[in-house]
Amino acid sequence: MPGPMEQFEIKKIVPLEVAGYDVSLTNSSFWMLVALAGISIFLFIGTARPQLVPTRAQAAVEYLYDFVRKMLDENVGPEGRRYAPLIFSIFIFVLACNLLGLIPWVGTFTPTSHISVTLGLAALVFVVVCFVGFARHGLHFFSLFWPKGDPVFQGSPIAITMKLLLGIFVFLIEFLSFLSRPFTLGIRLFANMTAGHVLLKVFGTFVVSLGSFGALPYVFGILPLGVNIALSALEVLIAVVQAYVFALLASLYLNDAVNLH
Amino acid sequence: MPQFDFGTVFIPQVAWLAIIFAVLYFGVVRLTLPKVGKVMQAREDQVASDLDTAEKAKASADRLAADYDAGVAAAQEAARASLTASRVKSAKAIEKKLAKANEKLAAEAEAAEAALSAARARAMGEIEGVAADAAADIVEKLTGKRPAGAQANAAARSALA
Repeated sequence: MPGPMEQFEIKKIVPLEVAGYDVSLTNSSFWMLVALAGISIFLFIGTARPQLVPTRAQAAVEYLYDFVRKMLDENVGPEGRRYAPLIFSIFIFVLACNLLGLIPWVGTFTPTSHISVTLGLAALVFVVVCFVGFARHGLHFFSLFWPKGDPVFQGSPIAITMKLLLGIFVFLIEFLSFLSRPFTLGIRLFANMTAGHVLLKVFGTFVVSLGSFGALPYVFGILPLGVNIALSALEVLIAVVQAYVFALLASLYLNDAVNLH
Repeated sequence: MPQFDFGTVFIPQVAWLAIIFAVLYFGVVRLTLPKVGKVMQAREDQVASDLDTAEKAKASADRLAADYDAGVAAAQEAARASLTASRVKSAKAIEKKLAKANEKLAAEAEAAEAALSAARARAMGEIEGVAADAAADIVEKLTGKRPAGAQANAAARSALA
């Protein structure tokens, strides 16, 4: 029986090499392409003939778009709507990858269970946040890391020295936490997806091994099967929630870049 | 874990991710989403303008109702005033007519009284004459001698008085 980690194995479908680098079409890239195709169908059908009174497909697209726009309105403010297409793309891509990976029997692969993919997406968010921050505020963007509110050069010399020292300390901590954001963002999604799929696989293995118990066949496999059914429902929830969390954190980071504090 | 096998796993996935996400963002989302965004904006505008129109219509309806109420009140006021005026006028006219009629009646009554007293005086004179004649006849029969007319008249008047 395959181990629980084997489902994350990258398999080459079409070997490919460009400039000495291996860029083969793998099962991961294949399922990313499937996600892209699914999203394209969803969006192109939903926006084929936009009407004031929407069709079902259009209403579905509008619902998701409105969800992203509201999230940006709440977390970034009126400036945030400009970034709605980007956050929407990230959200729907992560969501599609997460959900597609849960389809049983057809040998699906979850690209978001690979840290390379999630880190890549997180790095994109990080780069966008830095770009927006420096484009809007220039070097003033670094004031994001300085404690806000208390003017430094006020009070006695001792107070000023203390405030300066404390400010530098806080600045370093904030800066490090800022730099760690892409990693926490990427690892959170990767860990959630991986853990869920491992759990499903482990209980699936239990179904087989307990169900093939000689004296009473099938009977003992029912309990882990029930657990697996419940876990599948939970995994669907986690797939949606993690896509939401990823998009939410991306918009919160964008808020820092747009509005500083 | 195959995920941490970065040497073989990282570059092909990230390369495909970059391509696929670029296609997704520029080729799909950027082409489709603004259309829906435009429609959503148009819908919001439409709803807002419809609400605005409805509010305006309600305001004008309210104004019309107020105008109507004011018109009814004014008409009632005018009707009441003209009713009072005509009542006063007719009362005056009746009073005038009554006064005239009274005057006429008084004049008639006076004339009738005058005629009555004249008739009474004449009747009195005639009665005197008749009494004097009768007295003179009686005296003639008793004495055989007829008294003078003036004497008989004076005697009758003093006897009647």
